[in-house]
Amino acid sequence: MATFTVRRVAGLSAHYAGLLLFMAFTTFPFLWALSAALSGDPSKIWLFPDAFVPNDLSLMWFKRVFEEMPFNTYLLNSTIMSFWTIIGVVVVSVMAGYPLARLKFPGRGLIFVAIIATLMLPSEVGIIPNFITLKNFGVWASSLQEALHLPSDWNMREWVGLNSYFGAIAPNFATAFGIFLMKQAFEQIPQDLVDAARVDGANELQIMWRVMVPVSIPSIAALTIFTLVNAWNDYLWPSIVMTGKEKLPLAVGVFNDLTGPFATSTSLVMAAIVMTVIPVLIFFAFTQRYFIGGLDGAVK
Amino acid sequence: MASVTLKSIKKSYTKDVQVIKGVDLEIKDGEFVVFVGPSGCGKSTLLRMIAGLEDITEGTLHIGDVLSNDIHASKRGIAMVFQSYALYPHMSVADNMAFALKLSGTSKEEIAQRVNKAAEILQITHLLERKPKALSGGQRQRVAIGRAIVRNPKVFLFDEPLSNLDASLRLNMRVELSKLHQDLGTTMIYVTHDQVEAMTLADRIVVFNGGIIQQVGSPLDLYENPSNLFVAGFLGSPKMNLLEAQLVGVEQGVAIVRLPKGVTLRAKVDAKRGKVSDKVTLGIRPEHLRLAIGDEAGAVPARVDLIEHLGDHVLAYVEIPGINEILSLKLTGHATDLKYGDAIRVVFPEENCMLFDNEGLVFTRTAG
Ligand SMILES: Nc1ncnc2c1ncn2[C@@H]1O[C@H](COP(=O)(O)OP(=O)(O)OP(=O)(O)O)[C@@H](O)[C@H]1O
Ligand SMILES: [Mg+2]
Repeated sequence: MATFTVRRVAGLSAHYAGLLLFMAFTTFPFLWALSAALSGDPSKIWLFPDAFVPNDLSLMWFKRVFEEMPFNTYLLNSTIMSFWTIIGVVVVSVMAGYPLARLKFPGRGLIFVAIIATLMLPSEVGIIPNFITLKNFGVWASSLQEALHLPSDWNMREWVGLNSYFGAIAPNFATAFGIFLMKQAFEQIPQDLVDAARVDGANELQIMWRVMVPVSIPSIAALTIFTLVNAWNDYLWPSIVMTGKEKLPLAVGVFNDLTGPFATSTSLVMAAIVMTVIPVLIFFAFTQRYFIGGLDGAVK
Repeated sequence: MASVTLKSIKKSYTKDVQVIKGVDLEIKDGEFVVFVGPSGCGKSTLLRMIAGLEDITEGTLHIGDVLSNDIHASKRGIAMVFQSYALYPHMSVADNMAFALKLSGTSKEEIAQRVNKAAEILQITHLLERKPKALSGGQRQRVAIGRAIVRNPKVFLFDEPLSNLDASLRLNMRVELSKLHQDLGTTMIYVTHDQVEAMTLADRIVVFNGGIIQQVGSPLDLYENPSNLFVAGFLGSPKMNLLEAQLVGVEQGVAIVRLPKGVTLRAKVDAKRGKVSDKVTLGIRPEHLRLAIGDEAGAVPARVDLIEHLGDHVLAYVEIPGINEILSLKLTGHATDLKYGDAIRVVFPEENCMLFDNEGLVFTRTAG
């Protein structure tokens, strides 16, 4: 009994030590940034291990972020763009994953393979075609505006063309990963559940939205988080599409305003980065509880 | 409420394999019909075709007077209870039961009223707010049944609804289902491979094998007068004793057969279509065999192989010299002092013996 307990404690200690080590490894960049941002005196931020303890604790750098750049505007832009990206990705993934998982039609396998094959292409190959497409969208939108004699201050070119929220996020809606994830989720749902809904009088769309989707909430939550992180961090494409400073998201704005040859201070960048990351962490904390057990209790 | 009429229904999942090979069946309005048969014989497939969950390859299906082959499952007005329960895990018990009514646009008050009434019948009122994952197996089963009854369907379909429950709960639910049918009077079609469920619940039993109906009839009729060897062997526990024999004489209303090694027995059946020296099978239920009293004429000597005491009765497994099959005898009472190796004499009452021809079809019994 005694040896058993000792072994147990030793085992658990090793287990937790391993987990702590891994946690330290994954969080240390963030902790370093946080500590640098909180240090009123930046002289030690490159020294180990001193850098991990704020030197002359102060919130000065955070205040200065708001003074040196339109942080709130960028935050709002990031929020708008991430929100609609998540909506777009979830809708497209659900609508594409459902038939691939549940309906029988010729070419189904081929379509799925083709979608997965796009994972092998780097996203950069889309930049030029997408740019040209968007430019044309803008041209069409403004000729439509003229043809319908709509007020010229509507500026429809910037609804769908370059320098539009739509343009900055639409190319990200259809993702092979999201479709794959939702297809897997829908495939796991027992056939009996679908049949039960069918007998209960639901048509295919009702089955999808009222049974399949709610049951797949854990997968959708995972997809949401994943998409949020991607959209929040998206840098290259928005920096190409967005020409006006008032529409930049945080990732682009922080980089443009606070780094480069005229960069004022590393601490300032660190403070901006910390504030950029925090909304994602908050969102994650709130969605965490949806990750568990969507199918518990359905069958047997 | 509605009748269900199947006319030469066939089903193939793939081109070359036919699962249902032509089923004709008329289920009357308000009847409780049980489909039984061994695993894989196509019971679920047939039920799912009635529900509209599988296409009908050939033949016609009428629910009431309506040709229903091509009506979508959601429009057939039937309710189905699945073996796996198939509750919606994200909805409370009340929402599970209300789902179909909500889809059909029933008013809030009526939904609440019908859900409450069904919950009362099934005694699950205190569970209405829970999610399925917080229920026991038996409770989930009740919810699944509740989900079916709130809809006042024309027909109820049950696919082995009790097979995931333990023995005592199964008995309870069986009694409740029976009551439910008496109260509602709705047509019910029930699939099971538990023959006790079949015997106790059914107005009529349909015995399937290999995608074909073997026999249709009331439970007692099927038990007493099986039309072929399959039905005879399928119903009854322990199984009917079946012995290979040869027809040696056909008299008015009686057939005389000889077992290997020369034992002759008489069976009260009309064997006129058989010929002397035909191969036949003699069948007799375990409860009809009895021990000879004194030195009764016609008794067959045998030896006891195994005795099982079941409280209210005793099962004796005996061997007749020269015959391969072990016979089972069901003896009432528990006072028998039989034990392994005892030499006994067994009586085959001629009015209880059944006879099946070479193809397995029964010779009509003449005993009243
Ligand atoms: N989707 C399918 N595709 C091909 N074959 C199928 C399919 N579903 C069932 N079958 C076959 O049809 C036959 C009948 O199946 P069914 O499920 O109706 O049997 P069952 O009588 O309900 O058996 P059980 O008592 O085990 O439930 C089986 O041989 C099965 O393999
Ligand atoms: Mg089955």
